[in-house]
Amino acid sequence: MLDSKGGGKPLAGLLRRKTLLLDLLAVAIPVIGFSFGLNFYSNELLLVYMMVYVALAHGINISYGFTGYLPFGYFGFFGAGAYGATLAILDLHVPALLGMLFGGVAGVLVGLLLLPLFRLRGAYFAIATLAAGEAVADIVANPSLQSITNGPYGENLASVYSSGQIYVAALVFMALALLAVVLVKNSRFGLSLRAIKESEYSAAMAGVNVVQLRSLAWVIAAAIAGVGGAIFGWATTVFYPSAVFDSAISVFAIVFALFGGTGSVWGPTLGTVLLYGLYSAVGLSSPQYFQLIYGLAIVGLILFAPRGLVGFGRAAVRRLSLRRAGANG
Amino acid sequence: MKIRKFLSAALSVTALGALAAACGSSSSSSSSSTTSSAPSSITIGTAYSGSGAFATSSVPELNGLKLWMSLENAKGGVYVGAYKKRIPLKLIAYNDQSSAQTAGVQYNQLITQNKVNILVADFGSVLTAPAVSIAQAHHQLLFDQSGTGIPFFTPGNPYIVLCNLPESSIWPTPLAQYMISKKITKVAIVYGTNDFDASQAETVQAKLKAAGITPVFYQGIPTSTTSYGTILTSIAATHPQAVLELGYQPNDTAFLQALQSSGLHFPMVFTVFPGQLFSLFQQQVGNAGLQYTYTYATNFFHNYTSVNEGLNSAQFLATLKKQYPSSVNTLGLLGYNTGLVVEAALKNATSLSQLALRNALTKVSGNLNTVDGNFKINSEGAQIGELLPVAQILPSGSTTKIGIVYPSSAANATAVYPAPGA
Repeated sequence: MLDSKGGGKPLAGLLRRKTLLLDLLAVAIPVIGFSFGLNFYSNELLLVYMMVYVALAHGINISYGFTGYLPFGYFGFFGAGAYGATLAILDLHVPALLGMLFGGVAGVLVGLLLLPLFRLRGAYFAIATLAAGEAVADIVANPSLQSITNGPYGENLASVYSSGQIYVAALVFMALALLAVVLVKNSRFGLSLRAIKESEYSAAMAGVNVVQLRSLAWVIAAAIAGVGGAIFGWATTVFYPSAVFDSAISVFAIVFALFGGTGSVWGPTLGTVLLYGLYSAVGLSSPQYFQLIYGLAIVGLILFAPRGLVGFGRAAVRRLSLRRAGANG
Repeated sequence: MKIRKFLSAALSVTALGALAAACGSSSSSSSSSTTSSAPSSITIGTAYSGSGAFATSSVPELNGLKLWMSLENAKGGVYVGAYKKRIPLKLIAYNDQSSAQTAGVQYNQLITQNKVNILVADFGSVLTAPAVSIAQAHHQLLFDQSGTGIPFFTPGNPYIVLCNLPESSIWPTPLAQYMISKKITKVAIVYGTNDFDASQAETVQAKLKAAGITPVFYQGIPTSTTSYGTILTSIAATHPQAVLELGYQPNDTAFLQALQSSGLHFPMVFTVFPGQLFSLFQQQVGNAGLQYTYTYATNFFHNYTSVNEGLNSAQFLATLKKQYPSSVNTLGLLGYNTGLVVEAALKNATSLSQLALRNALTKVSGNLNTVDGNFKINSEGAQIGELLPVAQILPSGSTTKIGIVYPSSAANATAVYPAPGA
């Protein structure tokens, strides 16, 4: 899928290679960082959740950053993934690691089910996905489905708990999610998605199969959320529907992605590591100031860096270049 | 070809990273304390909800625990049997803001970073759930304050003990018996679709069915529900003799407020939390809205004059009122009693290891009498020594009071049934 035919235009080819290299660095650095994370900080659950959120923020990146569709109900795929994996592990007796894939499948199935929501746009789409996520949660927690989902009584994965396996699964999952974003960003597919984001009609006129490509991006985002939910459920081990179908999960993932900057590979990762790190640090050290500090950070973002950290960085570099060019006459 | 090279390099980095992570994580398990020299302090770690849906219940529980700590520290610390001396207590409390996810990270922090001696869970099943497996994985005993969820207590897990209250499925047994004794045959049940409420609903339904009574209305609703207008209208259409609303405090408050504004009257109305947070309900619902409502009577309403650990009921109430006047309720009692269970474990354990603490509690089970009654646990760590009688909120001059009406062995008031105006 990747367009590497840049030989005829050396400058363009060079730029493309440089971009790809930077993108792959955005995969390698977090992977290496988290690989050795436990040697520096032994709260493995925090690191696992952080890796899951990095991946989720990139799921939002694919859906919103590239396509322009903001799914407030992203937690619906997440919760479906947690339950899909749990049912596969407990009822089908598949190994826990393999069960994570079932989580992805569950996320994809819910994603396919919600495809008709693409008839809506903007805020209507966002709110409709929120309602859909709540609906999935209520179905799962319904006492009438106790024989399948255990209804409101939650699930217990203590029999397959393994902190080492969970950590490795989260790491590999995060790496694959990052690689998926690199692939999307540097492919014709990603270019088409950005065209759809700018204008669906113009994209369609230019020969882009809007429905097909938009659905594919949606399904990829749903799969990421599904596997994320599966790993989250495995790490949490004893969980109720309210813990995995929590709208705060969507809010976090969206805020992290926007804070870092969507449409890039670095942005959502930076946003998650910084904001989730801040969230955890403030929550642990100064809980009484938690809402104040976190709120101020988000207000600061909106006021001074509405395009996220990456956008802020790019603008700063551009200003510097212009100033330098001006100084050189 | 170049892209393939890039991708294979990236995958190699991932594989190497996974290998490094596997090595790191396998060496990161914490161990329980078995050192021979006495520590300078006993650290108690807990999570609490300073905001959010569970704050009204969690904060009093934390205050009760703090009360116990201050009383022990005033004596020079808690008595630790393994070292035959008193050791000062230190508290590390993290605010989880009613989020199970945040609570999970904080429990992990308390174990892996703070290396607390004693791990105490936050209020309720939702916020206790993430602690169960973390505690088990790190071989740390979890002092479960009020997480009465059924999935927590399993045969293979010695690292949990329920300090107060029985498993939620046991709670409504006296309630069902009361309705049967009153020959109530038309019962409407609305409950939150969470473990705590659904297990109670299921127990009531099963007990009623065993007596030949099928509820005329039986519906689960999302725990986030705070609008009961339509539900009340549907319930009224079935003409029930008793309406049971099983929810958390925000649900109960919303239900009673909606009932009052609807103008509907039923012969019997039951909700869970007024008995635990009575003064809060008096403020939020008002005495007029609470009158004749049934609720669970916790040991907060029982006068224990003879105890073998901690303060008796009168002393406890006086001290709690003085130090934490806003926490004079059942949750304050539960927090204090958790401290007494910790105290019993530390006093009777042969070492500070987590299994020694658990074994000590097995040893004292059935013989520990506190302001919360008899502490008795089964082999899985679940509380079985405490029962919850049925109480009714009765008019008392211009205000209301709670009277225990069932069973007769615990009763200190006579039930008013049917409620006036029904």
